[in-house]
Amino acid sequence: MIYRLIHRTHYRYSHQVDVANHIACLRPRELPRQHVLEFKLGIAPEPAGMVERADYFGNTLQVFSIQTPHRELVVLSRALIQVRAPAPQQAAANPPWESVRDRLREDRSASGLDAYQFAFDSHRIPLRPAFAAYARQSFTPHRLLRDAALELTARIHADFKFKGGATSVSTTVDEVFEKRVGVCQDFSHLQIACLRSIGLASRYVSGYLRTYPPPGKERAIGADASHAWLSIYCPGPEGCEPVWLDVDPTNNCVPRDGHIALGWGRDYSDVSPLRGLILGGGSHTLKVGVDVEPIEEENLVETASAPAAI
Amino acid sequence: MSGAASETQRDEPAIETYHTPHALHQPYDEARDDGRTRPHWAPLMQTIDETGAAELARRWARAERRIRENGVTYNVYGDPQGTDRPWKIDMIPLILPQSEWAGIERGLIQRAALLGEILNDIYCEQELVRSGALPAELLLANPAFLRPMVGAPIPAASYLHLLAVDLARSPDGQWWVLADRAQAPSGAGYALENRLIVSDVLPDLFHHSQVRLLAQFFRAQREALQALSPAADPRIVLLTPGPLNETYFEHSYLARYLGFTLVEGVDLTVRDRTVFIKTFTGLQKVDVILRRVDDSFCDPLELRGDSLLGVPGLVDSVIAGNVRVANALGSGVIESASIMPFLPGLCQSLRGERLLLPSVATWWCGQPPAREWVLGHLDSVVIKPAFPSRRMEPVFAANLDSEGRAKLAERILAEPHSFVAQEQVALSRLPVWESGPAEPNACGAAPLQMRPLVLRAYVLNSGNGWIVMPGGLVRVAGEDGQVVSMQRGGHSKDAWVLSDEPVDRFSLLHPRNVPIELRHEPPLLPSKSGLNFFWLGRYIERSECATRVLRATVTRFPHAGLSELQCLVRLHESLDLGQSKLPKDRNARTLPQRFQQELISVLADPEREDGLFWSIEHAYQAGNRVRERLSLDMVQLLSRLRSSIPAQPQPLEDYPRILSEAMQLLASFSGLERENIHRGPGWLFLSIGRRLERALSLCRRLRGMAQPFGEDDWPFLELMLEAADCSMTYRSRYYTTLQPLPVLDLLLKARPNPRSLDFQLAKLVELYQKLARHLPADLETMREALIGLRALDLGKLHYPLPNAKDNAKARGFNTLRGFLNDLETVLHSWARNLVARYFSHVSVLPIKVGE
Repeated sequence: MIYRLIHRTHYRYSHQVDVANHIACLRPRELPRQHVLEFKLGIAPEPAGMVERADYFGNTLQVFSIQTPHRELVVLSRALIQVRAPAPQQAAANPPWESVRDRLREDRSASGLDAYQFAFDSHRIPLRPAFAAYARQSFTPHRLLRDAALELTARIHADFKFKGGATSVSTTVDEVFEKRVGVCQDFSHLQIACLRSIGLASRYVSGYLRTYPPPGKERAIGADASHAWLSIYCPGPEGCEPVWLDVDPTNNCVPRDGHIALGWGRDYSDVSPLRGLILGGGSHTLKVGVDVEPIEEENLVETASAPAAI
Repeated sequence: MSGAASETQRDEPAIETYHTPHALHQPYDEARDDGRTRPHWAPLMQTIDETGAAELARRWARAERRIRENGVTYNVYGDPQGTDRPWKIDMIPLILPQSEWAGIERGLIQRAALLGEILNDIYCEQELVRSGALPAELLLANPAFLRPMVGAPIPAASYLHLLAVDLARSPDGQWWVLADRAQAPSGAGYALENRLIVSDVLPDLFHHSQVRLLAQFFRAQREALQALSPAADPRIVLLTPGPLNETYFEHSYLARYLGFTLVEGVDLTVRDRTVFIKTFTGLQKVDVILRRVDDSFCDPLELRGDSLLGVPGLVDSVIAGNVRVANALGSGVIESASIMPFLPGLCQSLRGERLLLPSVATWWCGQPPAREWVLGHLDSVVIKPAFPSRRMEPVFAANLDSEGRAKLAERILAEPHSFVAQEQVALSRLPVWESGPAEPNACGAAPLQMRPLVLRAYVLNSGNGWIVMPGGLVRVAGEDGQVVSMQRGGHSKDAWVLSDEPVDRFSLLHPRNVPIELRHEPPLLPSKSGLNFFWLGRYIERSECATRVLRATVTRFPHAGLSELQCLVRLHESLDLGQSKLPKDRNARTLPQRFQQELISVLADPEREDGLFWSIEHAYQAGNRVRERLSLDMVQLLSRLRSSIPAQPQPLEDYPRILSEAMQLLASFSGLERENIHRGPGWLFLSIGRRLERALSLCRRLRGMAQPFGEDDWPFLELMLEAADCSMTYRSRYYTTLQPLPVLDLLLKARPNPRSLDFQLAKLVELYQKLARHLPADLETMREALIGLRALDLGKLHYPLPNAKDNAKARGFNTLRGFLNDLETVLHSWARNLVARYFSHVSVLPIKVGE
């Protein structure tokens, strides 16, 4: 499936901003199941300099500063992306969960170490006995990891209520766990917290969701906005490529070709799509618009060259 | 940092490599061995005996005065009285002979080199983690591991430019490492100040003892920082979190001593991946940052998002290779005590050497055998966070009840990698000399108590090798405490390393044999410092004005009749008192009492923003923020000024003396201000602040003259002259005939009178013109104000004289009042423009968006 993606972030400031330093994490990652055909980042006003570099997790960051006084900032990300469902052999990896947990502590291969860093608490995700207890209802002794993970995903989907605006970016996982409401970011943080609290490695995935509805189905929640889900480290037998199992607790599904991944990190703070520090500005309003449009192959040329207004 | 002493009995540790027997015996006595003074302590003990308690007390009082006047301070967090607390030290140094120091020195150098190699590996190859020599958790679970710094082009010598190591001596005489400080170690500047204080109290002993000097260490530090940058003449700044930081005194002290510009995060900006310092003439590139800001606070954009102490974009500038930071960002990762159990092995594998200076027995609970041992021996260890950024207080499990212990064990089991256990070392003790008024000692022998100590030693990476500071900062526990911490009431000492040979007294910081180039460009003034100079000028003038007015009032108040009292109130109200508690209803019966309350409140209420105490405090604070740019005399004057006004209300009759003293200090300050400050931009802002404030207070006071004078108002004229310090000038012109018009003329229009409004406006024009980048429109505004003032025709004013056959009506006052009102408005908006023009970018903190 090929998508045309438009992600527009628009800040308006009540006072003039003199200088702004920003970091964008908006370029979709190149993955076995995901190929970026085209990517453009437009910024207004014109940044003084823009550097692209990879972060520790392999995401691409765009670092830029704006040194001319401005009252608004528009960042427009446009991409053409080809997405496939995950390969079936990857889905096969399904060891007992304790063996994954124990192997993490011993595995010093590059991929093992990379996974292990997602087993600890992070800025927004604490580890708690209560989270562990919640997870253990699904992660019973010797249960296969994939089965337990899917069940945990389903339980969070059932136990927690999706409510846009019920939480903000500063809402903690503890509050979400207590109040049982939230949005995709909250559910992902919570499920990650549960998994890490029992010693598994799990990472936060920032991305987009295809805009449905196909006939006869309900419209998926999270469409036309940034989306978030999580990956669980689930290695196959020795010698095989390590596998990360993606799950989406907001929609109780395993992402297939409808999920476009931007990047991943320990939690939202590592991969927030656009952050910055501004000098001046007073109060601000933020408008984010995301459009994920599936397109036909033959329309590609035209679409790619179509100008998009900022 | 804290070390703790205990003599708890405990079982033998289960893990052999951790075995340390030193908690079992009597603490080591630094000064005596088996009741007899150790040879290297003998000269000191003899000096103390011979000098006698009385003389020592006298010298110590001098030292304490010096500490207060030089503003050597330390801030204690969470204590309302905690800011700018005088630095605490006692005169008896820790004394170590060269023979013993040589061993410590070797151990410190080896440790620094080892930790430097480990850091280098952590941020480059990570071979140690891959090979298993270093548990992966120590990086991956450690918040101090700064991922953005991995692979950044960082000079190896900057990872540990300066390492501080806290050392303790166990009962068997062996030194152990309690902790490593690897981010922004504090205390080296206090060690230097301690040296100056103690060598001044014990001058003969110091000179005859061949004490190794500290200056060379600091010179080497400056050279090492210069060498970090490829630039030929790099610009180096010292980055401080600001005056509320516990060791701010030291930051400004070192900045001055090393010759670096002291900056806060807000003084710096990143443009085009390069760090610049904001000066009031524009941006200047920064090459090297010596930071006293902790790792994660250094860049709110890429590191810890909730801090605004740092510089947004600093990480990116480091990655681009455009700035060097010492210690390198991320060096805090090896401060974790969890690394200690692995150092012997790492030393062996990386350097092929035995670890010379062992760490205090430490168990990292991330290892199953260590965890089991710890859980079985909770009583005999201190539980600490493995990662210091987690801000957990050390727990002495022996002090917990069984429920508390069970909870602790549960916490450890839930996140074992987050905890370490350390043995409690029985710290060595040394004598302290307790100063204080109530310690008469009949036999003349100085009272010496013994206290536990921790020595903080410093190792510098010179680029060509490691240099150890010969000495360090000694901290001793408080009177009843076992915990050694300045935050918890401990105090400090000097440390003397006695050389076997005569020491070279050649002043190393000021070499005489090195040619130096003459420099004429103005010294770099960060905008923030300019702002502080501006406020220093304003608050000093505000204090001076209030002091004069209050002194004139309190001397007259006790015997003032009602009409004079009304004049005093009128003068009082010219002080711009927003929080005045004087009633509108001026009842003759209650007025004296109410006015007395108001006076005391303005004089002594620390909460009143319009009070004298507040003005002086803020003059001190503004001065403190630029102390490295003021002469020592000025710093001392500000300290004395600050303590000249008691914070507790005094009887009103004491205030004439108090205010006269304050007045003398203020007069000395303005003398120094004229003669003692380089006429650079700092002085310009200071002077503008002063002139502006004086002009404003003149406007307010002169408004009191824009009305006819009744007979009862006559004393007001005298007060006006005294408040403006113009009595003598007036008399030299008009003898003793007091009349409103000549007074007004003298205070409003007399051009040569430095107290007249004309003089202030003319000065403001002159000073503002000298400022780089000044706004022509604002210059014009001030010029017009001056022209307007000169165009005022006082001849049109008519004050009817009392008791005179004067038929002409009072007139012309509306014009005068209108002019003064307008001028006051203009001055305020002009000041706002000035601040916006030069300081807005340092007055506004950055705002975080997107998270």
